[in-house]
Amino acid sequence: MSTELAAATGARQGDEPTGPGPVRSRSTWRDRLGRWDVKYSPYLYVAPFFVIFGIVGLFPLLYTAWVSLFDWDLIDDNPSFIGLENYAALFGDAQFWKTLVNTFSIFLLSSVPQVIMAVLLAALLNTRLRAPTGWRVGILMPYVASLVALGIIFANLFGPNYGLVNGILETVGLDRVDWQADRFASHVAIAIMVNWRWTGYNALIVLAAMQAIPKELHEAAVVDGAGPVRRFFSVTLPLLRPTLIFVVVTSTIGGLQIFTEPKLFDAMPGSNNGGSTNQFQTITLYMYQSAFEREDLGYASAVAWVLFLIIILVALVNFFLTRRIATTGEDRR
Amino acid sequence: MTVFPASLRRSRSAGGGVGRANIWVYGLLTAFVLGSIFPFYWSFLVASRDSSMLTESIPPLVPGGNFFANAQQVFDQVEFWRALGNSVVVAGTVTISTVFFSTLAGFAFAKLRFRGRNALFVLVIATLAVPTQLGIIPLYMAMAEFGWANELQAVIVPNLVTAIGVFWMRQYTVEAVPYELIEAARMDGCSMIRVFWHVCLPAVRPAAAFLGMFTFMMSWNDFLWPLIALNAENPTVQVALEKLQSGYYVDYSLVLAGTTLATIPILVVFLVLGRQIVAGIMQGAVKG
Amino acid sequence: MRHRRRHVLALTSILSAATLLAAACGGSGGPESSDGRIELTIGTFGEFGYEGLYAEYERLHPNITITPHKTGQGGPYHEALFTKLGAGSGLDDVMAVEEGHLSDVLAKSSRFHDLADLGPADVKPDRWLDWKYQAGLDKQGKLVGYGTDIGPLAMCYRKDLFQQAGLPTDPQEVKSLFESWDSYFEAGDRFVRESGGTAWFDSAAQLFNAMQNQLQTGFFDRSDTLVVESNPAIKQNWDKVTAAVERGQSAGLVAFSNEWNSGFKSSAFATKTCPSWMLGVIEEQAGPEHAGQWAVTDAFPGGGGNWGGSYLTVPTQSEHPEEAAALAAWLTAPEQQIKAFKAKGVFPSQVQALESPELLAATNDYFGGVKDGELFATQARKVGHAQYKGPGDGKIQENAVAPALQAVEQGASPDEGWRQFVDASAQIAR
Repeated sequence: MSTELAAATGARQGDEPTGPGPVRSRSTWRDRLGRWDVKYSPYLYVAPFFVIFGIVGLFPLLYTAWVSLFDWDLIDDNPSFIGLENYAALFGDAQFWKTLVNTFSIFLLSSVPQVIMAVLLAALLNTRLRAPTGWRVGILMPYVASLVALGIIFANLFGPNYGLVNGILETVGLDRVDWQADRFASHVAIAIMVNWRWTGYNALIVLAAMQAIPKELHEAAVVDGAGPVRRFFSVTLPLLRPTLIFVVVTSTIGGLQIFTEPKLFDAMPGSNNGGSTNQFQTITLYMYQSAFEREDLGYASAVAWVLFLIIILVALVNFFLTRRIATTGEDRR
Repeated sequence: MTVFPASLRRSRSAGGGVGRANIWVYGLLTAFVLGSIFPFYWSFLVASRDSSMLTESIPPLVPGGNFFANAQQVFDQVEFWRALGNSVVVAGTVTISTVFFSTLAGFAFAKLRFRGRNALFVLVIATLAVPTQLGIIPLYMAMAEFGWANELQAVIVPNLVTAIGVFWMRQYTVEAVPYELIEAARMDGCSMIRVFWHVCLPAVRPAAAFLGMFTFMMSWNDFLWPLIALNAENPTVQVALEKLQSGYYVDYSLVLAGTTLATIPILVVFLVLGRQIVAGIMQGAVKG
Repeated sequence: MRHRRRHVLALTSILSAATLLAAACGGSGGPESSDGRIELTIGTFGEFGYEGLYAEYERLHPNITITPHKTGQGGPYHEALFTKLGAGSGLDDVMAVEEGHLSDVLAKSSRFHDLADLGPADVKPDRWLDWKYQAGLDKQGKLVGYGTDIGPLAMCYRKDLFQQAGLPTDPQEVKSLFESWDSYFEAGDRFVRESGGTAWFDSAAQLFNAMQNQLQTGFFDRSDTLVVESNPAIKQNWDKVTAAVERGQSAGLVAFSNEWNSGFKSSAFATKTCPSWMLGVIEEQAGPEHAGQWAVTDAFPGGGGNWGGSYLTVPTQSEHPEEAAALAAWLTAPEQQIKAFKAKGVFPSQVQALESPELLAATNDYFGGVKDGELFATQARKVGHAQYKGPGDGKIQENAVAPALQAVEQGASPDEGWRQFVDASAQIAR
């Protein structure tokens, strides 16, 4: 392709009026180049991604699929082929179903409020502010905080015995909550952690898209007598559609793969158990535990594949829902 | 840049916002930002005092005087500067490469028509759904095969371009780059790559800057993979700092002094790129 | 706009130059450099106290260069170890393995060299305490690891809380309370009653694990069959511990959690099972305001026990196994382990080192000037035997026992907890 580009430059130099030669043939040469350019350069542009993906995505994915058909120990010299037995075992595994429910519960508690808050926060940031960079960097800070610090802070907040939240609840006359032992309470606490970490990130994404909306559209709506709320729903939201799709799809995928927060939340440092009775173990934690603690790489790979398919399914559903919800304005393709 | 019709250039909003920020906006934002920077400030508090602060029921709110002593200890115990250099190389390369290739691929997916476009794009999104935690073993096998174990390439190459980056740039480009501009540029005789460079890139700068910020941060904070792929001789900052947590009890003032120091480069990148986000939007207004 | 772009360009070129440089300079070359020197790598985690010893070894062996790879925490270290074991490359010539992960390593003993064959001939089993040596053997009697340090168990207790509850406080007098597990839990009842509800111990799992380790066999028998349900001793221990939990003896604080740390400061419990390295943890967590209130005595219910300590192994991946084994043998010799003890307080597992004057003279001010070196040397000799630990034994402690007991502490009934424990261990053994 690089030779093609060099040729293109050469052809352009040949366009100088001083250059001799038959005009006709030059122009077909250029035409042909132009056609090639249109036809093939898109592939060149997306190629780097697929090359990297081949190494870091496709190979592990296929390797995992292969391993999932074996009774494969983490360190195994001769794994035995067992077909779909790992998958069959998975569907009869109570712990798998429990982690599936946990995952969806934490996912719903986190992603829904998160997306709504992110849009609101972006709307706030989209006003004419003093020191705009400062505010933006400010809300992105949770992502910069070290995981060590996060672990300690959230343990201090939600500790059942000495935690700050329980201290406050008690002061205002409410009952203490066992944030570790109670299944739903633990999901709430983890969702708070997730939202705290990711809302600012999503807000900035939405903000970037909001700022790309031509100002004239807003001005026209003002002239038409639309208030700020109506302008938001009939001008801003429809134009945010591609970005909202991005936010919803990525937070769906991220939410269903949630791993770091429940791991940090466990009182037992470094544990993958997700609480004493797996009350907040997510699928990825279970997968990780199966692979690296139970050393059952075959089973863990089956979990990984089932999770992969679930995510694709949910992401697709969300994609269509979002598309429908945000298609209130004209379709701008 | 003759390809920018004046009307379109002016259509980008000036001043970076819609509506005036009133006291409520500032109040709400202040609340958000305080919540956001609290853990960071808290880390600094612990780093400037000693670990006993962690078990006090009402923690103090002003920094103590131990920060520089703790920082000095970090420098003594950890090869901080070498690790910092490695992290700058890794995160810098990954960021520039990810931003460039994601923008390029995003442009192709958003604005160019080619056979198999939709199928390939679905594949990009599907890659996001691959659970990464299990990929560690095959990835390590691949890196060892290439002879990259313990080399910086092992943490750079897998992140040179990411699915999330391609997805994001594609979604942004769809709205931000009007077809009229591309067609105008093509009429002027621009090749595809020139259209990308002169039309697409300026229009998507805010999104690219955001992607840069985010990629840099992800790469900078990445821990488990660098820990496995690199060794202690040739660490990134996060891997190097992990060593501060040795022993049966952890001196958190030291650990958090280390993490605070390691955050400073991220803040620098944030401020530079954060300005780019604003600048990218202002640009049309200034010239128009 | 123009000058801004130049900035970005400048940044880019600096970064790409740096990359090129890194690529040019990267790579320390093969393990054997041109002048015939051998480079040995050694992987450790936490504190082994070996830092000063490497240079000494290089002086003694001019043809050897040592490159230490140290990780802070045991968790990520062992994760990396098993990943690289699975991937078949990337391990160091000498790899440290913690006792809790030893059963997993022994189950994969084909990936490690037999140090009895490979190591120097003058390294004899009697270098170590017998139980420490035995634990490093796999089922076929292959020596997978040389013992480094140990964590012999004693009892730590709060003198002031004991006094308020009318219990004896003198280290000699309290011994009768800590004679057996029955006397320990009886004293616990008395303490909880007299103190008005303060807990007797920090966490049920800490006690159960100590009791379990005193049994003749672990969770598996020698043919690697799970015996959780068939060995009545396991159920008896379970019943004793969970009954004590129901009577309010446990503070229900998961070891090493944030709340556990706070528990030391807020005097949430009166006794603590204490391996040698725990004294430092208590001093750090309880803080100066509790100085002199903690004491330690050379008694442990049911005899003795051990928690912690490591081994040095030589994986078959190593390209210089003989040199690696020689290094591991030298590092785990009594003279070196005493130096490590002086440097970082790691407690030696070698018979000769336990008799060294440096160790016996050591004292601990926070614990009222007690001669802790001598005390723990005594405790180390009380550990009777090496329990056979089948593959997954360590995981059952960590991921079946500990969560199930935590569930009981959080309100589940002992029977529910027992079911959970049995199911989870069956899953792990699968």
